[in-house]
Amino acid sequence: MRKIWLVAQREFLENVRTKSFWIGILIFPLILTAAIVVPALLEKTRQARPFAVLDRSGWVLEAVREQVAAGAKRFVLVEPVLDAQSAAAEDTLNRRVRDEALFAYFIIGADPVRSSAGSEYRSKNLTDSDLRDWFGELVTNAVQARRLEQEQIDPAIAEWIREPVRFEARKVTGAGETEDVSAQDKLRQWAPLIFVYLLWVAVFTIAQMLLTNTVEEKSNRIIEVLLSSVSPVELMAGKITGIAQTGFAIIASWILAFFFITKYVPGLLGAPVGLDLTVLTRDPVYLASFVAYFLLGYLLFAAMLVGIGAVCNTLKEAQNLMGPITILLIIPLLAMLPIGRDPNGALAKVMSFIPPFTPFVMMNRAAGPPELWEYVATTALLIVSIGLALWAAAKVFRIGVLLTGKPPTLREILKWIRAPVGTVAVRKEPG
Amino acid sequence: MDHALTLDRVTKAFGEFRAVDEISLVVPRGTIYGFLGPNGAGKTTTIRMFMSILYPDSGTITVLGDPNPEAVKDRLGYLPEEKGLYKKMKAAELVSYFGRLKGMAANPANTRARQLLHRFDLGDWADKKCETLSKGMSQKVQILATLIHDPELVILDEPFSGLDPVNVEIVIELILELKRQGRTVIFSTHVMEQAEKLCDAILLINKGKKVLDGPLAAVKAGGPRTVIIDYDGDGGVFRGLPRVARVNDSGKHAELTLEDGASTQDLLRLLVDRIAIRRFDTREPSLHEIFVRAVGGKTHA
Repeated sequence: MRKIWLVAQREFLENVRTKSFWIGILIFPLILTAAIVVPALLEKTRQARPFAVLDRSGWVLEAVREQVAAGAKRFVLVEPVLDAQSAAAEDTLNRRVRDEALFAYFIIGADPVRSSAGSEYRSKNLTDSDLRDWFGELVTNAVQARRLEQEQIDPAIAEWIREPVRFEARKVTGAGETEDVSAQDKLRQWAPLIFVYLLWVAVFTIAQMLLTNTVEEKSNRIIEVLLSSVSPVELMAGKITGIAQTGFAIIASWILAFFFITKYVPGLLGAPVGLDLTVLTRDPVYLASFVAYFLLGYLLFAAMLVGIGAVCNTLKEAQNLMGPITILLIIPLLAMLPIGRDPNGALAKVMSFIPPFTPFVMMNRAAGPPELWEYVATTALLIVSIGLALWAAAKVFRIGVLLTGKPPTLREILKWIRAPVGTVAVRKEPG
Repeated sequence: MDHALTLDRVTKAFGEFRAVDEISLVVPRGTIYGFLGPNGAGKTTTIRMFMSILYPDSGTITVLGDPNPEAVKDRLGYLPEEKGLYKKMKAAELVSYFGRLKGMAANPANTRARQLLHRFDLGDWADKKCETLSKGMSQKVQILATLIHDPELVILDEPFSGLDPVNVEIVIELILELKRQGRTVIFSTHVMEQAEKLCDAILLINKGKKVLDGPLAAVKAGGPRTVIIDYDGDGGVFRGLPRVARVNDSGKHAELTLEDGASTQDLLRLLVDRIAIRRFDTREPSLHEIFVRAVGGKTHA
């Protein structure tokens, strides 16, 4: 045990000293902060957009003037002293738009109550439709009010006629009752996807660290020196533990960053906290299962990758052997959306019982949530497979690490695993 | 029982290939012992077995008096032929790490690592990363990492391969010092001249089988020895000499092949009063000759 710990400690320290470790630690908080700060800053720095209106109806602009003034923070109405009816006015405004003195201008047709004929929106930038939508709605309201008046329809009646039928969403709880759906619940419904993705990135990158590290140790020719002091199984266990520590350090930093950034950064910007994401970090189901599934998923893939690392002499060889495992890992990502939509469907249930997919699929289904027996059964199956995988990896590792030259074929590796313990590098008692 | 290492009919096969075939040998404590043989003879496999890196198919291995070599692993120091360093670790850290893997506590290991580096003129490099060391320095650091825990038995697999003459001298000096400290050193090589200079005893191995073993003097004495004599006088004196197997007399020059174990001193005593001897030269076969003869000349050594 002491030696396993020593090997693990060395691995951990060496990883902590690498740049990629700190990039791994920092990238997530940086992206998260940027995702919150950048849009807020953009919103703040955006200047109010100047626009003009050529009102050929003669009354619409007056009708909406008050509301236009209220929106002056975003869009400022510039009132050119022009004859709205003249064609020369359009030329003048076109020039001003071209010179960016105006963001855009509207022409309101002569009789908007009858039809939209002659109404136009002119700008250099047609992709940003904020101004057009906003002013368009104001004018529409004013024109509609005029139409109701003209036809002598009670506005209250018009409103009632236009009223759509809304279906109120209510969630059926575990107790079989219904409850109101808040924004939080919607977040909960989709949060597992974020967690699955993070879990996937964490398992994949950290298990791959183990692979790279094992191959490097082999190509550095340091393995045999180590084996004179520690047994192959101790070495393997130490490496898996050390890299797991590294992984947990990164994951823990991510979770802390998630909690603090979502809680405090919006406040610092003076913006209201739109959605309290901290509810996710406080929800034990997500956090505990995330940590547990990270550990289990990591161990399963670590066993596979440490075995591959042990039989390869170069990273290139290792990458070739990695192919099937990468494909295996991509499947739960492809299934992420369908499972998120139907967390207790047949696809979700079946995939939960395939051990390499279990951590991702069960995390994916957290909003369902799956029944307790499913948690128990899939986790038991997963733990048994981890045991088997580690046992096989240990056998491959003890033979593989001293092997130089061409890496063995899959068939040879399977032969090593199947071979009875006595014939594969295990001591026979003297006598 | 007071042997550093005993192998008794140890065999190891990889599939059909018998890498080590019924090898038996005894390495007395406090000696320098050479494993000699061409590349692929089974030297490294033999070493890996008593280092508990590989396990024998049959036969027994006793290391430092313990029939379970794994139990005494921490009292051995092993420098494999294929050796490397953690490039990103500092030299002192690396040496200390290997000491701790051998059971040393952290503080003594750190102190001793620095002492050793200082003694071998690497004090300035103690806090430099291993990737900055030259090849000779790396080799020294590797050897120090092997020796930091004061092993009773030191095993060096091809310690001279790829070294320039200066570094070869450093390694030789180190081996001799280990012997002076009373430690046992086993090293393997395919370069006979070095073995001849250093070893107290040798094992000669070829294609997994032992060719011969024993103290160097005995091994050499065991070969057919010849005596060259330049003389003036009556050549008839060579006839009827005891313990001489064959004589080839050319009048002024004679070449005598002695029987096994015959003493050249006795021969000289018999001759010295009867003929005038200008030259009396014993020619023990060199290890190289023994080796080449034993393995049927199929070596480039």
